[in-house]
Amino acid sequence: MFSKKKVYIYIFVLLIVVFLDFWIFSNIKSTFVKITNDNNKNIVTLIDTVHSETDYNKWVKDISAKYENLSIIYLNGVPGFDDLVTYAGSEESLEFYQENSESKDFQNGLEYASYSEIYKSQNKFIYDGKNIDLYFSPVYDENEDIIGVGIYLFDNSENESFFNLLNIFAVGIIIIFAVIMYISKFTRDPVMSYIILGLFIIVGIFVVYPLYEAVRLTFIKNGVFSLEIWKTILTTNQYMEAFWGSMKLGLMTATISTLVGFLFAFTLSRTTVKGKKFISTMATLPVISPPFSLTLSIILLFGNNGLITKQLLGMSNFSIYGLGGLTLVQTMGMFPIAYLTMVGVLQSIDSTLEDASLDLNASKSRTFFKVTLPLAAPGILSAWLLVFTNSLADFANPLILSGSYKVLSVEAYIEVTGMGRLGNGAALSLLLLLPTVTAFLIQRFWVSKKSFVTVTGKPSGRITELVSKPVKITLNTLIILIIVFLIGLYGTIIAGSFVKNWGIDYTFTLDNFREALQRGKEAIGDTVTLATVATPIAGILAMLTALVVVRKKFPGKRLMEILVMVPFAIPGTLIGISYILAFNKPPILIVGTAFIIVINYVIRELPVGVESGVAALRQIDPSIEEAASDLGADVPTVFRTIVLPLLRPAFISSLSYTFVRSMTAVSAVIFLISAKWYHITVLIYNFSENLRFGYASVLATTLIVIVLLAFGLMRLLVRDNKNLEKTIN
Amino acid sequence: MIKTSASVKLENITKVFKDPAGKGEVTAVNNVNYDIKPGELITLLGPSGCGKTTTLRMIAGFEVPTGGKIIIGNEDVTQLPPNKRDTATVFQSYGLFPHMTVFENVAYGLKLRKVSKSEIEERVIKTLDMVGLKHLAHRSPSRLSGGQQQRVALARSIIVEPSVLLLDEPLSNLDALLREQMRVEIRRIQKSLGITAVYVTHDRVEAMSLSDRVVLMNAGKIIQTGTPSEIYESPDSKFVAGFIGKVAFLDAEVKEISDDFVTVKLQDKILKTHKFSSDVKTGEPAVIMCRPESMKVVEENKGHINGTVKTNVYLGNSVESFIDTEHGEILVQIDNPSQKKIYTEGAKVGIEIVPELSKVLRNN
Repeated sequence: MFSKKKVYIYIFVLLIVVFLDFWIFSNIKSTFVKITNDNNKNIVTLIDTVHSETDYNKWVKDISAKYENLSIIYLNGVPGFDDLVTYAGSEESLEFYQENSESKDFQNGLEYASYSEIYKSQNKFIYDGKNIDLYFSPVYDENEDIIGVGIYLFDNSENESFFNLLNIFAVGIIIIFAVIMYISKFTRDPVMSYIILGLFIIVGIFVVYPLYEAVRLTFIKNGVFSLEIWKTILTTNQYMEAFWGSMKLGLMTATISTLVGFLFAFTLSRTTVKGKKFISTMATLPVISPPFSLTLSIILLFGNNGLITKQLLGMSNFSIYGLGGLTLVQTMGMFPIAYLTMVGVLQSIDSTLEDASLDLNASKSRTFFKVTLPLAAPGILSAWLLVFTNSLADFANPLILSGSYKVLSVEAYIEVTGMGRLGNGAALSLLLLLPTVTAFLIQRFWVSKKSFVTVTGKPSGRITELVSKPVKITLNTLIILIIVFLIGLYGTIIAGSFVKNWGIDYTFTLDNFREALQRGKEAIGDTVTLATVATPIAGILAMLTALVVVRKKFPGKRLMEILVMVPFAIPGTLIGISYILAFNKPPILIVGTAFIIVINYVIRELPVGVESGVAALRQIDPSIEEAASDLGADVPTVFRTIVLPLLRPAFISSLSYTFVRSMTAVSAVIFLISAKWYHITVLIYNFSENLRFGYASVLATTLIVIVLLAFGLMRLLVRDNKNLEKTIN
Repeated sequence: MIKTSASVKLENITKVFKDPAGKGEVTAVNNVNYDIKPGELITLLGPSGCGKTTTLRMIAGFEVPTGGKIIIGNEDVTQLPPNKRDTATVFQSYGLFPHMTVFENVAYGLKLRKVSKSEIEERVIKTLDMVGLKHLAHRSPSRLSGGQQQRVALARSIIVEPSVLLLDEPLSNLDALLREQMRVEIRRIQKSLGITAVYVTHDRVEAMSLSDRVVLMNAGKIIQTGTPSEIYESPDSKFVAGFIGKVAFLDAEVKEISDDFVTVKLQDKILKTHKFSSDVKTGEPAVIMCRPESMKVVEENKGHINGTVKTNVYLGNSVESFIDTEHGEILVQIDNPSQKKIYTEGAKVGIEIVPELSKVLRNN
């Protein structure tokens, strides 16, 4: 593959391309420099000849006002003959002159001017924080006699940034050329290599680069390296309060959610109880409920004008805003995560182990504490960590419900959008990353290895009751209470959309619907459009990535797996902030467009799609794909005709997941919306901020309906799957 | 139907895998050289882990050799991906497309080759007819029996008229009777199409009954090649002799080697045969390789060695007589038992070696 001749040709062609590239770009640059110089000289001569003022101070100021990127200093008198009188337009320019008047460039400039020549400075000068070009030119009176010297300060910082861009392009072209030529010349399957390269470019630009920009910004103050931002963050009370606030909330939510989740998981997997299907549906429902919906109904029930607190109990100084309310709403929203994690673990613990313990005369409670609980321990810890991570990353609930309680995600948002302190915002969201990633890594690489659960096949069907009658009644009562509360919460949102003015006037009305849908029409349209565009892209990209990761060997494979998973582990707030940092400037300027929102959706939902694709693909005999490629199908054809149809269930579920998650996104997208592209969740937030709870309820209800429709559609599509039996034999 | 079939040339093929467990390396195939003639069916035979499947996968293009060249016809295909090679593989696990019908499976390769719809129809039906599955064209492959699935896989491969047909232990998932039947069928189709074929198996009976030539591999290397009868009757080493069939090795000493004769001393008996491997030397210990059918049971002291009949196993067309001797237990096959004298169990007997059917091998 690497024959000497090929390598020589490669190097030779590459050298020619490098040479041509630099030649072309340096030509462009020098042409551009020449044009600016000519332009500047023209301005200089123009000013010389039209000069007929006698009020030099006014003249100097007029010119500075007239030309945007030009300041002028006028020295009256002929250098070498007269004493020079300085007229500067401002304090800074006077200071600038005094600082530099002894330099060689100034001496030369004055000498040239006295010989009626225009002189351009050779050295670099900085004025007002910007790079400038200096011109020295004689100024004439009506008789064309020299009466003084003009010093022209042309701001050329825009040129500089233009040159930077040109440099990026010049180097970029060479790199792209080198890589493409390398692939087509030296790799065995160029199509595959291009796909892998494409994936690397995507994660490079949309995962690594923005995060790098966010980290970089926190170490920069006034253009130079500095630890000041971190010092501020770590020593300011307000910020540290937010950090501990997040941690405290995370601990409480994780612990209570795990308890509630275990209650459900244990009851469903270890006791006989009626209506298991209903209970498990109720215990998973909040997973797909849109942001703000539970918060909204909590406010409607327990808020300042809450149905329960104000109307029923008549409390006037009760506040749901703060740690208590947040813990409640997060627990209701997140215990399903704990439940789903633990029910899987409990179901796969063979109940014959418990039978064995009972058989050896251990009591039921002893069996529970000595057998069941230790076996389930890794699963419980794993559930706790997952909820903890989710609670820290949560943005929507605290945004409305935190009151004066401070959490990191909201604090970062306020820093960025309220104060315009991007650096602080980035640092705060990075601070958030620390516990989240730690928890994620512990869960991923430590707990999952500690698991005692061995897959022995199907969960065993028969259950030995492990609880006594009174315990069982207590458990069931608790479950019923929680489910009733949950139903009450959803009922409240729906009720809230039909009520005239919650807390004051409970008459039935449809006005909310008319008004909210009227005002939200565009936001709903935008959100649906963007999510619809992002969904197939994310789905196909996820399956392609899964194919590459499972089936192909290539350098950097592990790195790619990690980079693809990164957006799953980091909080949305950080993604949002890093995106506005990275993509609000050349070379990629897409902030404010639909593009950035779509990319954000795709990148954030990719990990889950990839995971399900990988899991499905591992079930499929690789010789099926090998057979296709052996019969002449190239990689895209294998993907289209074999992999995608075989991965259909995973593909469809990742599609619906992406769609729903995009529709209900808020933490990252709130930074990326613009007047042109709005988001329904942000509108719900705006309505609740303005205490328009009726409108907010209508939109939340609408969102719930859309989400349920999407999942229903997915169920329908996956079920219609008769002819797909995964592996033969 | 078939275009000219191609030759396959393996030149110094080596494949080194990274050990998945650690940093070490495993040499799966070690410097293999072999030429396959057009239209020939060769089997790669050997114990599991000997590198035969890896070799096949390199010919197909699923693996890239670490070193060496693969030439199909006149083209160096070493670096070509599978889809750019004119090979077709029948997989051990069949690799049928589960989301397509039998017809669609077989038509897949033709569709990729942009063959017209009517021609696809005609050729698929013809090929399915050839493998006897015409009536099942519109079934899903998961509703076929193992043997039928195997036929679909075969049909799918031969319909694209590959210049080389590769078969990777295609019959190992079938039961014994079906295996025998499919073996005959594969050979019939391969011959009628005149297609070059490489067949990987660890089953010596399969290898001998199918192939024009057998390539016997062990530990990544070719040990011996030849027609089935050459390998069976004249193995070069104890390993080959033992792998290809039932055998007894009798220790002996080489007395004299002439151009085409070797004289060995077996205890006090002298034996002469013209079959001996090139590495035996005068004065060194050697073994006489005896197949069960190359020995006769005779009266005590009348043969080359003596022993006691331990058991007789009656097989209808023959009796397998297990005889305890100084050289260990030796199996002698007695054909047409109804016309021969069968010594009862416990009887003292002699064993006569038929020199023409035996071979002297180096003892290692």
